Amino acid sequence: MNPYLVIMRTTKNYSLFLMLRSSVGELFYKKTAKLGLRFFATGLILGNSHFHSLSPSDFFLCNRAYSVLVRDFVLCGGSQHGLQESKALDRSFYSSSTCSGELPKCWNCGGTAPTSIPFLACESCGSVQPRNLSIDFFQIFGLFLLCRERSHDIKDDNLEGKYKDWQKKLHPDLVHSKSEKEKMFAAEQSALVIDAYQTLRKPLLRAIYLLKLGGKHVDEEKTITDPEMLAEMLEMREAVDEAHDSLTLKKIKAEVEEKFETYSRSFSQAFTSGDFDDAIASIERMRYYDRAIEEIRKKL
Amino acid sequence: MLGAAGRRILGLGLGKRAPGAVTAAASRGYHERVVDHYENPRNVGSFDKSDPSVGTGLVGAPACGDVMKLQIKVDDDTGKIVDACFKTFGCGSAIASSSVATEWVKGKHMEDVLSIKNTEIAKHLSLPPVKLHCSMLAEDAIKAAVKDYKAKNSKATGKAETVQTDKVENT
Repeated sequence: MNPYLVIMRTTKNYSLFLMLRSSVGELFYKKTAKLGLRFFATGLILGNSHFHSLSPSDFFLCNRAYSVLVRDFVLCGGSQHGLQESKALDRSFYSSSTCSGELPKCWNCGGTAPTSIPFLACESCGSVQPRNLSIDFFQIFGLFLLCRERSHDIKDDNLEGKYKDWQKKLHPDLVHSKSEKEKMFAAEQSALVIDAYQTLRKPLLRAIYLLKLGGKHVDEEKTITDPEMLAEMLEMREAVDEAHDSLTLKKIKAEVEEKFETYSRSFSQAFTSGDFDDAIASIERMRYYDRAIEEIRKKL
Repeated sequence: MLGAAGRRILGLGLGKRAPGAVTAAASRGYHERVVDHYENPRNVGSFDKSDPSVGTGLVGAPACGDVMKLQIKVDDDTGKIVDACFKTFGCGSAIASSSVATEWVKGKHMEDVLSIKNTEIAKHLSLPPVKLHCSMLAEDAIKAAVKDYKAKNSKATGKAETVQTDKVENT
């Protein structure tokens, strides 16, 4: 049995949540965040028989501004203590471009949003659109396409080129003569694209963001006590501290960068296979290596 | 307009070690106590890890990649901490917090230092909220050092120090 998965993600878009809720009946959600509503499907029923529980990050949501081909989809309704009912949804319900709703329209010319790229600016009249909180960074850079999952490996995806393309359409300098409303939209969208670019181009930030999208926050409060890892990091920082010539520093930098790469790959693997403890541990290490590289750069 | 900064640019030193760092740190809003600990570090160093009277606490902060090592030298008969040293790689607040920690633990009984709270360190250094975790790290380092000493010595004497270590773990 092919387990078709629905891509569903955390969203702060309350109206979207309401729309879905009214359309599909009871949505089983596990958590509500203070800032918005997050919901996860807790499982997947394969062929009306087995309940296959999945971690929340396996799911992402399609939104109105961006279409994703959604296949068989099951929602479980009921209380937190058990499943009272389940509804198998009709595949046609989620046809190509709608999530039981219409595509947004341009506020200026009324043109419909495109289905394959995020709706940040209108293709017909060029007007910058209001910011849609449900569009995430990966969508902006076209890294989340049909059937392709968000991944940590984005080496050949021409981030810089796409960034420049977006800024050509959204930059506040282009809206000098436009209305206050559009100037505000441009400022918001431009800032969003900058955030997206800065986050996605750095492997460490990208990794943290990926986990965040999946609902997993890296606990920044808890003190690390792993003696082996800390001893390694202490030694590394001492070596940096004691090195004074650029040759030694560059050598250390190369070594640390290699370690960073190793754990970056380890994160990708852990994330893809759903091992979030391992993913978080990889991030911790990446942060230490990143910090050391920064210290070396300062000295060079 | 030609103040301290101007004099620095012109290469006229202020006659003090690393004047730039002090003014830069002060301008960034660090409290003078933090600057003091950064400029005049006390108790930086290392004890021999394998020395049975030494307890080593090694902790890290996941958020900023800080590493803090705090070591205590304990008098085996009285249980008092006779000396302490630290080595911290992190921001000025982290360095100052661990420096303060080493100063405060000296001369105290190792049970007493377990009650040193991060809030006290933070208050002493006037740490802003965003740097509170640095003082927390120092508190954890103290506890880790005591725990390490006890672990080493309970093995030697065969005494079960489980009650105390549980207390440490529960905080």
